[in-house]
Amino acid sequence: MFPTLDPLLHSELRLAVMSLLVSTEEAEFPYIKEQTEATAGNLSVQIDKLSAAGYIEVEKTFKGKKPCTICRITPVGLKAFEEYIEALKSYLNVSK
Amino acid sequence: MEENMNMTAERSLEIITQQIAQSRRAVSKVTGQSLFISGICTMCMAVVIAIINFVLINNAIVGVGHLLWLVLPLIIWLFMRKYNKEHAHTPVSLVGSMVAKTWSTFAWFVIGFFVIALIWGFVAARVLPIESYVASRIEVTPVIVLLMGMAITITGHILKQRWLVIFGTAAGLICFIWEHFGMGQTIVLMLSGEPHLSLSAHAATTMLPCLTIFVFALVGLMLPGLMLKRQK
Repeated sequence: MFPTLDPLLHSELRLAVMSLLVSTEEAEFPYIKEQTEATAGNLSVQIDKLSAAGYIEVEKTFKGKKPCTICRITPVGLKAFEEYIEALKSYLNVSK
Repeated sequence: MEENMNMTAERSLEIITQQIAQSRRAVSKVTGQSLFISGICTMCMAVVIAIINFVLINNAIVGVGHLLWLVLPLIIWLFMRKYNKEHAHTPVSLVGSMVAKTWSTFAWFVIGFFVIALIWGFVAARVLPIESYVASRIEVTPVIVLLMGMAITITGHILKQRWLVIFGTAAGLICFIWEHFGMGQTIVLMLSGEPHLSLSAHAATTMLPCLTIFVFALVGLMLPGLMLKRQK
């Protein structure tokens, strides 16, 4: 019996965002956009979904006069990511 | 990147690996840039102080140039601020912040120690007889090189660069012995063949601590910074 993969993480863009945030303390929206090569609109929608699930926290602030969106992974998000990796391992062991 | 929900496990793994590696590279470059800027500033400051000390000793003023070390953290901070403004998108990582905290701890200890030594030297010169003053004077450079060796070693451990760990430990201890026992001064004295230091030989010895710090900044800050910046 295979564990089910978290549907919120089993999407290319959301998984890429979470993977980026796992290795950093926090990241600004333009950096995530640049690294994932996603469009601003699509990325914004996916970030909202992750934020609504409590996987990441989004802080809207200002850098000088420019608006700045900072994303951080939460402990809930980190746990979900770890569980996703564990589930992924069982799938990969079978395909080997 | 689109919202593809029908990914294979292999594709998921590929995305995770790719993003983590990409992020680590970006962060390493920023850490490298910080080390590189700090190294360049320290090396330039060592050269400037050596020149100032060399010029001033001819007017019988010894070591005043070393006061300029107090300005170094400010100069590094200004350059870093300028760089960060131009590269605002790069995130903070655990590795980057650990390296930054190591060096800021080093900077605070050095500034604190430098100020204590300065105040003590000022007070002791006025209160104590000359023999007691010479015996109780706090030598700054040996302690600074020891602290710098520690900071380089810790940086090497964080960045997993074994050569940096070995260099930090060896150079820290060797330069401490070199500076503490005045070996540079002894060598200059032996080479000059005179029982006491002449003015030019004395001028050379006042430049030795700057040379030590220059080498430390080159190998401990600038080169690792360059390595991280160029990492593919």
